[in-house]
Amino acid sequence: MAWNFDKPLITLCDAATNEADKVLWEKEDLGTITEDNNRMPIPVVMLVFLTVLTAFAITFPLWGQRPTASLYVGYVKAMNMPEVAAIQDDDAAMKKIEELGSAGVDKEKLDRHPVSMNDLRIIKPQIEALMAKGVNLEEYTVVGDQVVLSNFEGNKKADGTTERIQPWWDVGYTVDIFYVIYFFTMVTVLIKRLPPSSWQPRHHK
Amino acid sequence: MFKYLFAKNEDIPAGSAAVFFGFSAIVWFVIGTGLGSFNAAKLAFPDFVTGNMYFAFGHMRQVHVHAVIFGWISMAFAMAMMYIAPALGNNKLWSEKLGLWNCMFWNVGLALGLTVLWAGITSGREYSDFPWPIDLYLAVFVFIPLALNVWMTVLNRKTQGIYTTNWFFIASLFMVIIVFLVGNSPEFFHLSGLTEAYLTWWFAHNVLGLWITPVAAAIAYYTVPKVTGNPLYSHRIGHLHFWSVVVFYSTPAAHHLMSAPLPEWLKSFASVEGVLILVPAIAFVSNIMLTMKGKWYMFVENIEIRFTITGCLMAIPLNMQGGFQQTRAINWYIHGTGWIVAHAHLALLGFSTFLEGAAVYLGLQTIMRRKLYSLTLANMHFWLLLIGFTIYWVSMTIAGLIQGAGKIYEVPYIDVVIAEHPYMIARWIGGTLVFVGNVLWLYNMWMTARKGTEVPVGRMPHELSYER
Repeated sequence: MAWNFDKPLITLCDAATNEADKVLWEKEDLGTITEDNNRMPIPVVMLVFLTVLTAFAITFPLWGQRPTASLYVGYVKAMNMPEVAAIQDDDAAMKKIEELGSAGVDKEKLDRHPVSMNDLRIIKPQIEALMAKGVNLEEYTVVGDQVVLSNFEGNKKADGTTERIQPWWDVGYTVDIFYVIYFFTMVTVLIKRLPPSSWQPRHHK
Repeated sequence: MFKYLFAKNEDIPAGSAAVFFGFSAIVWFVIGTGLGSFNAAKLAFPDFVTGNMYFAFGHMRQVHVHAVIFGWISMAFAMAMMYIAPALGNNKLWSEKLGLWNCMFWNVGLALGLTVLWAGITSGREYSDFPWPIDLYLAVFVFIPLALNVWMTVLNRKTQGIYTTNWFFIASLFMVIIVFLVGNSPEFFHLSGLTEAYLTWWFAHNVLGLWITPVAAAIAYYTVPKVTGNPLYSHRIGHLHFWSVVVFYSTPAAHHLMSAPLPEWLKSFASVEGVLILVPAIAFVSNIMLTMKGKWYMFVENIEIRFTITGCLMAIPLNMQGGFQQTRAINWYIHGTGWIVAHAHLALLGFSTFLEGAAVYLGLQTIMRRKLYSLTLANMHFWLLLIGFTIYWVSMTIAGLIQGAGKIYEVPYIDVVIAEHPYMIARWIGGTLVFVGNVLWLYNMWMTARKGTEVPVGRMPHELSYER
């Protein structure tokens, strides 16, 4: 059971332990079933690696979120501009609003949550009322024809109210990073305690 | 079989408990899928059997779910463990007598549990619907005796090493006992609110993740090398699979409650872990597929391999769905829809049933030393199961997407019900095909026991040619 750190990526056992393991591996009859010592194929390793990356990238709350009221502030302000008010056709007016009101806003978010002129006419007074109250519009979401307080409930703020803005990163992801590192480290150590993958038992020849 | 209950252990023929479990499993499968077909008919034809509360969908559905999980699936697992664990240790089952009593208590307890569910006495917690006295009964008379028998068999093995299949068996039995006792603690200790919700889904997630999925995979690790004669491709990948099940499958329970007011960090953690369920799936599927090298003709010619590899292939869509449907980006759309019902059936009726089916086919023939009575009936069973399941899965997936759209766009509920109707009929047709296939299977295995050709000592059933 001695450890050997000379070639940690090949084996973590000394030669005597490896030899004893090889002898046992070849002589042991497990109900006539035998096992090979193949390493995991490189494409499969890459697939596991890709899975870990994807696991983090796909689970951020950035995706699948409802649009916040702040996303449409530019549009609402643009609706009050004389050059927009002068346009009679809704489609043309909407194009002008998009041109004037999308500055400083995440274009992809607006693309994911498109609105029509009719939608804007309904949510405009609600957003303006919230702006007049001076609240943080990031804490409000647009659900159909309603602008409502976000249903996300985070930590309590200093003023006693509840955090309503969902962070894209939280301590759960940090825990995950350590958890994944511990897992792959331990499994690698476990596997490297086996005889090197260059050796194959003779039962299959 | 009953005559051995009071016999001395050494007088009981080896494999008796496994045979008892094997036939019990098939009978419960017939009952479970029969109830499933009945329930599906009620959704497809709302006027079918009305006016009696005991045949109402709300009473019958839980009986179907629990008959399948604790009758068919878990008893097929017990059957597999009782003949595979000793076979891999070159010894005998620790106690055939305990196995027989275990099976008898299991059948009695399950019948009792399903009766109270049918009567409407339920905890109301999905997958753990049994009231707490039944839960305790199942822990004490079902899972603990099974675990004791398998653990002692492995401890008394005549080999130095323990093969991959037995790692999964001994660990899953430990985990399912913990899951059963902790997951049902809201009932034992009257816990309510969010704690109850979390523990309910901790149970439901882990009974799949730490019991059904690993034991089904363990069966494939035995069936494929045993029947093909090939060595398992990689002992190393087996390690990755085993430990990634333990580490990544035990943690994502909170992803069932992505819209609940649980701590947000817990949901983020669980969601990442949910995608990482793909790690054991990749390890499992690659290891089994590579073990098949040079023996792919058996996928066509051999019924046990056909069942096993079909189940294995279903692990791919199962885990792709399972990994991603819980993320916030997808969960908001499909949560609470028929999509989830389709996914649950992909796990239980697709992936795990095909793997267990192979174990029961192989095990009963091997223990009884009888060649399968009819390949034709077995082929019909396979295709009815596969076609029936596929119709069910596809129709419910589509119905789920329709429900999701209806939910998001606030379509009136009755309009969604009307839109779903054709898919409910398809669901009933698919489920009924599965039920018919299982009736044929029960007949085939009964006839195998009575009239199957005797397998000579030293030979395996699959080495003999089929006669019918």
